[in-house]
Amino acid sequence: MINTKFKKWAVHQSIHHPKRTLTSALIITLIMGFGLQHFVIEDDMMKMIPKSVKTRVVWEEVKDEFGNTDLIFVAFGAEGKSLFQKKAMSDLWDFTKALEALPEVEEIRSLTNLNKMENEDGFLLIDDLVNTKDLSLEEIADIKDYLIRNPELKKRVISQNDDFFNIVVIPNGNTSEQASVVKIVATAEKLLSGYDLHFGGPPYLVGIVSSLVRADAMFLVRIGLVMMVIILLASLRSVAGVFMVLFVIILSLIGMMGSMGWIRGLTGSERFVFSIMNTSMPIILMTIANSDSVHFLTKFFKKLRITGDKAKAIEQSIDSLMLPIFLTSITTAAAFLSLVFAPIEYMTGYGVSIAIGISWAWILSTTLLPSLIMLKDWPLNSRAIRKPGLLERIVDKFGGKIIKFPRSILISGLLLVAVGIHGIKLVTTEVNMFSFFEKGNKIRDSLEFLDKKMLGAMDLEFLINGDMKDPELLQQISQLQDYVEKNPSVSITFSIADVIKRMHRTVMDDDPDYETVPDDRAKVNNLYTMYSMSGDPDDLTALVDYEYSKALVTAILKNVSTKSSVLFVNDIEQFVDKNFTKYKDITATGQLVVLRDMVELVIKSSVISICVSIVVITFIAAIFFRHLGWGILAVIPLSAAVILNFGFMGILKIDLNHVTALLSSVIIGVGVDFAIHYISQYRRLARAKVPIETRSNRVIDEVGYPIILDALSNMAFGALLFSEFIPLQHMGGLMVFAMFSTSFGTLTILASLLELTGRRKKVMKKLLGEQ
Amino acid sequence: MIRTIFLLTIIFSTTYPQDGIAIAKMVDERKAPQDIVSKTTMLLTNSKGKTRTSTILSKSINNGSKQILWFLNPADDKGVAFLKIEHDDKADEMRMWLPAFKKVRRISSSKKGDSFMGSDLSYEDMTNRALDENNYKRLEDDMVDGKECFVLEVVPNAEIKSTYSKHITWVEKETLIAIKEESYDLGGNLRKKKMFLFESLSGYNVISNIFVEDIQKNHTTKLTMGDIKVDSGLDESLFQEKNLKRLPRN
Repeated sequence: MINTKFKKWAVHQSIHHPKRTLTSALIITLIMGFGLQHFVIEDDMMKMIPKSVKTRVVWEEVKDEFGNTDLIFVAFGAEGKSLFQKKAMSDLWDFTKALEALPEVEEIRSLTNLNKMENEDGFLLIDDLVNTKDLSLEEIADIKDYLIRNPELKKRVISQNDDFFNIVVIPNGNTSEQASVVKIVATAEKLLSGYDLHFGGPPYLVGIVSSLVRADAMFLVRIGLVMMVIILLASLRSVAGVFMVLFVIILSLIGMMGSMGWIRGLTGSERFVFSIMNTSMPIILMTIANSDSVHFLTKFFKKLRITGDKAKAIEQSIDSLMLPIFLTSITTAAAFLSLVFAPIEYMTGYGVSIAIGISWAWILSTTLLPSLIMLKDWPLNSRAIRKPGLLERIVDKFGGKIIKFPRSILISGLLLVAVGIHGIKLVTTEVNMFSFFEKGNKIRDSLEFLDKKMLGAMDLEFLINGDMKDPELLQQISQLQDYVEKNPSVSITFSIADVIKRMHRTVMDDDPDYETVPDDRAKVNNLYTMYSMSGDPDDLTALVDYEYSKALVTAILKNVSTKSSVLFVNDIEQFVDKNFTKYKDITATGQLVVLRDMVELVIKSSVISICVSIVVITFIAAIFFRHLGWGILAVIPLSAAVILNFGFMGILKIDLNHVTALLSSVIIGVGVDFAIHYISQYRRLARAKVPIETRSNRVIDEVGYPIILDALSNMAFGALLFSEFIPLQHMGGLMVFAMFSTSFGTLTILASLLELTGRRKKVMKKLLGEQ
Repeated sequence: MIRTIFLLTIIFSTTYPQDGIAIAKMVDERKAPQDIVSKTTMLLTNSKGKTRTSTILSKSINNGSKQILWFLNPADDKGVAFLKIEHDDKADEMRMWLPAFKKVRRISSSKKGDSFMGSDLSYEDMTNRALDENNYKRLEDDMVDGKECFVLEVVPNAEIKSTYSKHITWVEKETLIAIKEESYDLGGNLRKKKMFLFESLSGYNVISNIFVEDIQKNHTTKLTMGDIKVDSGLDESLFQEKNLKRLPRN
């Protein structure tokens, strides 16, 4: 009833008041667009993770207690040239001081602010290793000599061949990683122009990747749009028609992004910010808005070809497509709205905003688009109207043949799905951003350099709770470090136990035999007190807490995959269980671990969303088509496509990460569109008693072409395949695959299923409510 | 410790000087006890509100140029002792007794900005400010807690390589005692706020409470001096390494 009333209203508005409809649509979009002033881009991926996730809780605790633990690695030097010379030392001094002066930087660890701890004739000295910018050659020789005597310290600050300095920068936790990275890189490039420069570390990657990925994605999406226009132009052969499709897409996008801004502005909710996870939002809406418009426009051309009357063609198109477009919109919007139940807060904004965009695209497709069509003269002798295009003719020619062998097609489809199910088991998660870059990429080259020549650029932390004055625990920490360092990926570890061991040796007249944790609590305590009297207590704040009840062990690693890091952490947990007798409260943390948990959450959210979406779509389709059977039929092609999508990722070793995991939403969004258009047309013809022998042919004749055109034009986003970032390439590939699997899933599996069902008259009568 | 900080407790003559340097000179010529003995409780509070408390027996002579400290509390630190002897012509001597190792160790004093015992007072804060090593400027008078004060700007000379760019000191007009000081880092940013309380003892104004707040680290130190004795006849011979090893009864 509501549908009929709205249909009549839409027909009336489009045919009789096209200018008013156009003006109203523009004004409303403009109002929605004003929300863009509140639009916020958020690059801090850590904010995506719910505060209740254990590793985030531990990570926050670590940051609160020990300061920011995120490390950016900067290496500079020149291959084969020793840096133990005046100019290089002076440049390192200037660079360190310049970084220390940046508000975006919390702490610097470089050779110039390293402490030395020495004992000469009973005189304990804790002092700066480098005291001044302008060092004499003798002083430089002394520094080198001290580092040679302390190889563990040396490898923290300079490469093995003395040709590259290693500087660890800890960004200020209160500023965005992107802002910190920009300043650090600019400072390095300004002061160290004569050297080879390399950067790495999770904050560097997070800071640089989000903006680079977004810029690359925006560029390629524009190319995708151009390609989409070319494909539409070639098929529709009407510049005005393509312009109208684009117009609807652009207004829908403005509506979606503006609404996101408005909600963010009015509620202040952090859920409505645009993160790297939201990168797929515009693409998803573009495909859906394109789908609505393409279906309408092709239907209009077909009707105009038959009737020769513009108003009549519009009325018939609205009559024929109002319900399916409404249904595809409401089901897809409901599917995306289900994301409000996802554990990641950003997904609420993602789901709600896309749902608004989809709804706006539906209104525009059924009101603005017919009005635009109404406002234009369509010469009946134009090629676009006079005869079908090449694509339309191909689809018409081959479409009908597909359903001649429904059983074979169905079995083939099911076999493919079985292969997909097998492939799902092979899917791997990878969040290490190293995997984002192809070989030869400048950033990857830098990371490989840091792995090869320096300590690596990844860090892993272990938070240990216990009495840090207890020699037993300190010895266990030391054993843990020895065990961790056995892993070939680990370059170095450091903890409070190292400081205690060094101080013990120093107090015992620099006797190497005493580089151990003392066996007596009182001795440990004396060492702590001695440090507070002779060194800077701030030196220890990154290692042990104020009450000596928590300590942090940091491991610097070369590149490891997420899978390896999970195995590594599990292995260490087993080691702790087996060997730590008195204290067992040890938790692995760090950005790598938290990211791993985040991706698990993204996947969990996506799976929940897919399942909820399928259930919601089934019920909505069942309600509007008045039988559960139609609901089930509507989700079959998209369910098959989802399985094939993940199976395809597993078989082709495409990693699941926070970018690719969400792409399955495109399948839901577009897959349901195709299925509902097909079912709606089939149902119309079945109710009109079109004979079973020609019914499927006629359905494909009506909806086959718009489905294929829609899929083909959306495949233009395959332009992302040419990205320099691997996740974007995967996104492009998956877009092409999603379009292929959903369109062919509809035109083969669903078509075959309906053909077979249609042959059973009783079943079909039940489905149509005629029995 | 008390003696060194005592130098900040400027006791002025009844004739108010007209400029900064004149005030500083009065400080240098002030009457001070020969020696001070006290039990000091030190309460450290970090930015998260976590605290550490220590009790220290302190004995000093010659305006704190010779000072010996024994840790009484917490139990873990009991017996640790520290001896400091300042020299005009060479680096100060600092020795520490580590009872668990039964060893005395000389420790470095080269980093004047380093914290003293983990507190917000650095070795520089604890050392006498020589008149000729700083420039003094009188600023506009001010009120602190209802007390009228002179305000001095103290700028260390470049050659002493201070870790501060300047200090602003508030001196109570009535008692001529410094009751508040702000110290600025080399970048000109406020680093520390210090408040001082005094009590009158045997004709001297002796410091009884110090509160220091490190603004940049959000860390505070509260020193409370108890059982204060002045001019108790301490002998120079007390300030020797051998005396670190034995915790005195009083």
